[in-house]
Amino acid sequence: MDTAASITQSKTRTETRHGRFWRIRAIARNAFREAVRDRVLYNLVLFVLLLTGASIFIGELSGGQERKVIVDLGLSAMLLFGVFIAIFVGVGLVYKEIERRTIYAVFSKPVGRGEFLLGKYFGLCLTLLVNVLVMAVGVSLALAYVSRALDPLILTIWPAVLLIYIELVLLTAIALFFSSFSSPALSALLTFMVFVIGHFSADLKSLAASSGSTGARWLFTGLYYLLPNLANYSFITPAAHGRAPSAGFVFATALYALVYIAVILSIATLVFSRRNFK
Amino acid sequence: MTISTDSKNNRMKTAMLALVVVVGMTTAVLLARRIDTLRPTVAANADDESLYLDGKTARRISLAFNGLTADWYWMRSLQYVGRKMLNHPRDFPIDNLRELDVKLLAPLLDTTTTLDPEFLEPYEYAAIVLPSIDVQEAIRITQKGIQANPNAWRLYQHLGYIYWQQQDYQAAGETYGRGAKIPGAPAWMQAMKAKMAAEGGSRSTAREIYTRMYEQSGEEQVRNMARKRLLQLDSLDQRDGLSRVLSAFQARAGKCPNTWKEIEPIFRALRVPVDASGAPLDPAGVPYVLRSGTCEIQLDPKSAIPAK
Repeated sequence: MDTAASITQSKTRTETRHGRFWRIRAIARNAFREAVRDRVLYNLVLFVLLLTGASIFIGELSGGQERKVIVDLGLSAMLLFGVFIAIFVGVGLVYKEIERRTIYAVFSKPVGRGEFLLGKYFGLCLTLLVNVLVMAVGVSLALAYVSRALDPLILTIWPAVLLIYIELVLLTAIALFFSSFSSPALSALLTFMVFVIGHFSADLKSLAASSGSTGARWLFTGLYYLLPNLANYSFITPAAHGRAPSAGFVFATALYALVYIAVILSIATLVFSRRNFK
Repeated sequence: MTISTDSKNNRMKTAMLALVVVVGMTTAVLLARRIDTLRPTVAANADDESLYLDGKTARRISLAFNGLTADWYWMRSLQYVGRKMLNHPRDFPIDNLRELDVKLLAPLLDTTTTLDPEFLEPYEYAAIVLPSIDVQEAIRITQKGIQANPNAWRLYQHLGYIYWQQQDYQAAGETYGRGAKIPGAPAWMQAMKAKMAAEGGSRSTAREIYTRMYEQSGEEQVRNMARKRLLQLDSLDQRDGLSRVLSAFQARAGKCPNTWKEIEPIFRALRVPVDASGAPLDPAGVPYVLRSGTCEIQLDPKSAIPAK
């Protein structure tokens, strides 16, 4: 079922209830189904194989550090796979609809361009949520297997998992933003660059502080505040040592992501609204 | 008829492609094996290239994956030492690897701990293995660990061990004392401080150090080394006792025994475990060697107990 048909099906509800919410929901559900149909979740198989292999063999290689390695490996793979999904699926969300010309059918219905973008965004966020949840359960099971008991790390990894998910939804918004005005290849490249630079935020700040010229200082300070500080979401290594972030930290970083996503999606909507599909 | 021919052609095509895959892969494997034999043999130490990245650079470029990269460097450190040990005909205790020329170990452990400063096992490994190779690096890496983990009393235990090995009992005592003040540190850390001041070079101090190391370490190689050192201390005590028996025999008989058989009855009376030839057994269960006509007792080279 394509996006247009999905919207038609929820037309009754669209007309009778808060239309915008239902339209966004219909597009999101469709985007999720499309991701599942495109076998995006197949990466879970690879993930399970990776963790199973690690659980069995890492013990011998790591000198008894298999619990740490499983957390590091599991959460890093979760982030890496998530980043690939966010980038490569995210940049194709809008482009595919344009290329297949199904976007005309969508916009022939009472659907706003912002609603369309939001629906696509939430659809991919849902895909990532399922992906991250299944992977986190996999890591927990692998920990239980190597510890042969209820390992305390099983609980402490979940805040780190939440932070990874927040990072991924932030990155998805950026991918969607770039894809609203450029080609998939360029969007993927730019999003990946933001991911890399986002983890260099501390360096940007220290570069600004150590820079001699005022112009360079302004440039690096500007970049530091303009680009998302993704290093805030890197809690994999402390999680492997059984350290969880404070509730205040998680709340603040979630709020930062929320604000940033709102800004990015607003700009994406502004750009997308002015785009001519002819 | 046409459909049947098409189907036959398709089957032929599939079979041909499958054949190409099987034959191709087999040829590739055989060629790879042949190339391996043609490649000039590399000396065991030839893989001692320098590390491409220092710890800080590795940390930067690892983005959010610094923990995983640290694990990789850690495993590489263990493999590096393990490979060197396997390539050497003789067995070495891990606290005495000078002959193995493991010059990459310090940078590997340094990179590991820069990537993940909270990872305590590499500090322990550095404290145990590095002093015989580069004691200054061992101290620097352990001190780096203390700076990054000021509440980890075990790092003070490791640093105290390095100083004790260098026979700097005052520094060792001070380090144990500082570690003892950390909340959660066991009471024996304070006792170690006093022991260092009173009898730093004694066997009883050594026994205490290796016992604690054996109890605390989660690293199998370290526990194994501590166990061997404890056996060695037992053996030293045992050899002191045996030497006294031999001296008494010499005083009575006017000569040292030529074989263990000559003094076997004394050992049996003293309930010293002996083998069929009457030789007393070391703590690892291997008979001691008596140099004929002398009163000198030696460990059998086959024994698991390190001679040094």
